[in-house]
Amino acid sequence: MLRATIALIVLCTSFLSNAETVHHRLHLNAGVYTAVDTTTFPMASFNWTTTFEAQNARITLESGDSLSLTIVNNDSIKHGFKIKDKTSGEEIAPGDSIHLTVFFDQEDYATIYYDHLNNSSFRAAGLGGIIHVPSNPEGLFYWNIKDFQKNWASQLVSGESVNWMTYYPDYFTINGRSNPHINQDSMARVVGSVGETITIVIANTGSSVHSIHFHGYHAEITYSSLNSAHIGRSKDTFPIKSMETLILEMVPDKPGEYPVHDHNLSAVSAGGIYPNGMFLTMLIQ
Amino acid sequence: MMTRLIYTILALSIGFASIGQTIHQLIGRNTGSKLLFDGNTIRTFGFAQAFGENPPIPGPTLTFTENDSISLDFWNISQGAPHTIHLHGLDVNQANDGVPHLSFEVHHNEHGYYRFRAPHPGTYLYHCHVVSSIHVQAGMYGLIVVKPADTSMTWTDGYEYQSDVNLMFSEMDTIWHHDSVLLHDYDTSMSHHMIPIPIYTPQHFLINGLSEQQLVDKVEIHGQANSSIYVRMANIGYLANRITFPAAVNAKIIDSDGRPLPTPEVSDVLEIYPGERYGVLLDPGQEYIGTASVEFINLNTGQVDNQQVLDVNIEGFYGVEDPNRKPLRLVPNPANTEVQIYVSPKLIGEQSTIELMNISGSIVISHNRRLVEANSVNLGQLPAGVYTLLLNTESGAFSQRLIIL
Repeated sequence: MLRATIALIVLCTSFLSNAETVHHRLHLNAGVYTAVDTTTFPMASFNWTTTFEAQNARITLESGDSLSLTIVNNDSIKHGFKIKDKTSGEEIAPGDSIHLTVFFDQEDYATIYYDHLNNSSFRAAGLGGIIHVPSNPEGLFYWNIKDFQKNWASQLVSGESVNWMTYYPDYFTINGRSNPHINQDSMARVVGSVGETITIVIANTGSSVHSIHFHGYHAEITYSSLNSAHIGRSKDTFPIKSMETLILEMVPDKPGEYPVHDHNLSAVSAGGIYPNGMFLTMLIQ
Repeated sequence: MMTRLIYTILALSIGFASIGQTIHQLIGRNTGSKLLFDGNTIRTFGFAQAFGENPPIPGPTLTFTENDSISLDFWNISQGAPHTIHLHGLDVNQANDGVPHLSFEVHHNEHGYYRFRAPHPGTYLYHCHVVSSIHVQAGMYGLIVVKPADTSMTWTDGYEYQSDVNLMFSEMDTIWHHDSVLLHDYDTSMSHHMIPIPIYTPQHFLINGLSEQQLVDKVEIHGQANSSIYVRMANIGYLANRITFPAAVNAKIIDSDGRPLPTPEVSDVLEIYPGERYGVLLDPGQEYIGTASVEFINLNTGQVDNQQVLDVNIEGFYGVEDPNRKPLRLVPNPANTEVQIYVSPKLIGEQSTIELMNISGSIVISHNRRLVEANSVNLGQLPAGVYTLLLNTESGAFSQRLIIL
């Protein structure tokens, strides 16, 4: 009994020693996105610095961590900030900042932080990123997927409403890039070895549904923010709805370079040009 | 001369390759044509099994046995861009994966072998992966079914079934079938191409390549009460599909993407997204005549762009000879100004209500009458379209789809 009590104390101490308050500062930046075909359109992102980058900052925590987060609005209009299923959402005046502290107790968990104002207009303009709480920090890859209708970009980044019933996106990105540039992102392009456990976190911060098909391998759904009944399913094609997060685990059984792409094949394009959309390759050695 | 040479090579290659392996042959063509439900014909690409055959859409279903060693001999008899076969979901090695710059492509009047094993019973797809947005839309796709050695089972230690049906969902946008789109440029020296594709606004919503009145008597879910019906489904289109089975068939979702679900899901409604496959087991306890609906959902707007209807005919009881099978039959169907409702002998003499419901759910014809063997219904000047005939009798309610031309 004494031995069990001591073991429990040791375990608790060990757990508590890993948990900490993690401080981050996000800058909400408006900017101009240069697409794969050199087309440009207005966009906004949450970045680590005051410099606009198309890729939103990715926040990684440990289970038991408290996230102490400051968000600075560098834009000239009012914005919002919300963590899906964690906070109710706050407004940020232009040039102002807010601060919040959020506790993350669930392991192998992924959610989305985003600008919730104006009926998803700001999120659709680019303002959405990933928060991930992994159990194992090895072999992690992240796909923050988005879709854009270029001729709506000015309205969306200004917070104007659009008629979503007529939405037809023409640019598709993973971590802010399209094919063939996605492969240059080491956190997006899966590079691994046969037998290695690879974890892929996918967040759909865009507005369309995407159906991501893996060549070469099946992967197991270990987390789904919308369908807990899907956990444990081994599949090669993974639909992901707007504002959904998925965590997939894959153990490659053979080497090779294999594509991963949206099987809505009209989304494998940019500005109407194939195959400049949601397409990358995995490299297994 | 060239044709004779190709025939000779085909015969020789089949002869050589057939030693110790299961051989399948497909021929890629880009000169196909397809008759649509509205009477128009469009140009298609596709896979045929015989030289000179108009490639069907979808292509022929390839059926393999679990752990078969398979050689798929692919001939490309089409000028223009090369073609490939991607074995979608079979997780083959890179050389046989069918992605042009990562495996191999097959040029006009050439052929190549895809060699692989099929270790997991289930439902898969094959399609061309050259400029796949265009070539898949053009019609270069088909279904692969991998069965266990005991073909009465879904998989070893899975579910026993007595009948099965395969359903493949897709769409067609006729703009994409113009030569200006289909006959795109293709530089084989490049690993990355830049091919323009049109905006996708499909007008045709297909189940096994057919839609609207083309489906009648061609595509249906058919089986017997007290038996299990295994429905394999695949979505190769660019929209989502929402399938709603009638509650009477007791639908249970049992597998997806070639793997059993860890926990089967009892549900009448199933959504299938592009590239996904699902297996559903139906276990009707009673006879049933009705319909299942297939909605085609726009992935950008969430709107239902179209709905197709499938007949569901559960007739007779498994293992029992029933002289009264087929309680309801509509002749002719499609109809014009009149339709005869033939009922089974057990319904003759029963008081009934006959109603005709349009696609919006409005009742446009309603009659009360005592049933005879052939019951005539005047359709008047009803607009052309898909209707559901509802027959309520003392023995039960029945329904069947009626097409009015």
